Amino acid sequence: MKRVLHYAAGAAILAVILSIFLAPYAWIVASSFKQHFAIFRDLKPISWATFFPADPTIDNFVHLFVNRGIGRALVNSAIVSSCQVLGTLALCALAAYGLTRIRFRGSNVVFALVLMTFLLPIESLMVPLYMHVTNLGFADTLVGVFIPWIASPFGLFMLRQAFEEIPRELDEAARIDGAGHFRIFWSIILPNVRTPLATLALVTFLFSWNAFLWPLVILHSPRNHVIQLAIAQSVSIAQLPNWGETFAGATIATVPLIVLFLFLQRYFVRGIALTGVKG
Amino acid sequence: MDAAGKLRHWATVAVFVGPFLGMLILFQYVPVVAMLRDSLYDFSLLNPDRRSFVALGNYLTLLEDPDRQQAFLVTFVFAFGVVATVIPVSFAIAIYLNGRLPARAIVRTVVFLPVVTSVVVIATMWTFLLDPSNGLINNALATLGLPRGEYLTSKSQALPSIIVMMLWQQTGFATVLFLSGLQGIPRDLEDAARVDGCGPWQRVRFVVIPLLARTTVFVVVIMTVFSLQAFAPSLVMTGGGPEGTTNFVAYDIYALAFQLQMPGLASAVSVVFMVIVLTISLIQMRVLRAKGAE
Repeated sequence: MKRVLHYAAGAAILAVILSIFLAPYAWIVASSFKQHFAIFRDLKPISWATFFPADPTIDNFVHLFVNRGIGRALVNSAIVSSCQVLGTLALCALAAYGLTRIRFRGSNVVFALVLMTFLLPIESLMVPLYMHVTNLGFADTLVGVFIPWIASPFGLFMLRQAFEEIPRELDEAARIDGAGHFRIFWSIILPNVRTPLATLALVTFLFSWNAFLWPLVILHSPRNHVIQLAIAQSVSIAQLPNWGETFAGATIATVPLIVLFLFLQRYFVRGIALTGVKG
Repeated sequence: MDAAGKLRHWATVAVFVGPFLGMLILFQYVPVVAMLRDSLYDFSLLNPDRRSFVALGNYLTLLEDPDRQQAFLVTFVFAFGVVATVIPVSFAIAIYLNGRLPARAIVRTVVFLPVVTSVVVIATMWTFLLDPSNGLINNALATLGLPRGEYLTSKSQALPSIIVMMLWQQTGFATVLFLSGLQGIPRDLEDAARVDGCGPWQRVRFVVIPLLARTTVFVVVIMTVFSLQAFAPSLVMTGGGPEGTTNFVAYDIYALAFQLQMPGLASAVSVVFMVIVLTISLIQMRVLRAKGAE
């Protein structure tokens, strides 16, 4: 009897947690496949129909691609995120090698400079950064969206940790064989840090894809909009939002990341837990 | 080392460390210095070269301006509300997930979904969830026969509504951090407590909580910094209203600089904000270190 009660309580807790976290997603995704009137009809009262499109339509999605240029925004986001990932990996890996494998005067100063930026709230830098990036000629360009963030202190910190863990005997052996720093970096170190590199790539992609404040500040013309700006625009308080289309946009922006997350959950959780270091 | 060798040494250093260091200085340190300078001027973004020096004028304006003070107050209340709710909820879920219960993996995944969802999508989602007439929440309450809320349109409910949204979004993150802390507690300790006759509540109270002090401070630091930087809820959900009750500092800076064309004043607000956030994180990290040394 006690066992049954125990299981029943466990099942009840499980049901509450799952519905609190899943119901909003289910409602958004289901409604994105519904016509405008059906979204409101299915809400009163709440029933299974609220979370399931009985008569699915893809009109909302078609309209987003044909009239609202969401395809363009998706492509822009993909370009920005890929460039940010590649740039971050390149800069952080090089610098992590320099800081762990080359002895030079001032390396402590370099690392201190990196550590200090950990605590800077980037939100407070948006105004000067906007003027600075504008002066450099990157305003309203996709380059301007990712270029300020590729020297990522978090990325350097994470890779530095990973590089430290590689036994130095490996480099010594290679050096005796006549390999220079570039050879050691490319053929000894990098192949041994595949997992940290993949984790950094994923976390950077996630941050870049989801970034909002900076793209909002630096991009003006609609043809340069990234996906988050496109979504934010469709809810803007000034106009009456079209519920179905907004939900479809939110679905398009979110589903790729969730699929990626479901497959690579291990890396995501580890990587994001590490970003905590930035706090 | 001869001169040529020295040159080669520094050239190698420059190739490895130079790009990162250069970008870091260019995009983090230069803007900080520029911000300190700009906060002493009065100008507009449309014509930033025509500026007049006002010394500490912007800071004096800030001190006397009730709207700016409200923005800071709202942001602190928000951060406090988020921390005070996220910590107990995520701690409870972590304890639950750490037990031998079925479907643990599913719960962990589901709770983490909002962490990988963008703030814009979450703010959008919640704008519709909280819609007074057609939102999911009010209709669910109505279906159950409970009274409806006004949420974002009400002066007293807007900020609490956004705190609940942030709780929903950040719980997964905090849970994962607590869970990794819990997994670091040796089983023997809990077993020893059990042998001594401690029930499950006592084990949590006297074994788990003291051992998780460090993790807890860590989660508090992260949640504080995250909530102090909230921006998207103001822009997407409320426009800072009603009557400035959800006007977070980050949004205030944005609106001052880019909508009201007062980047000088916005820079002064940014400087004060940066100093406050830095101070809070440093204090919390000191506490963290002190706890860690125990």
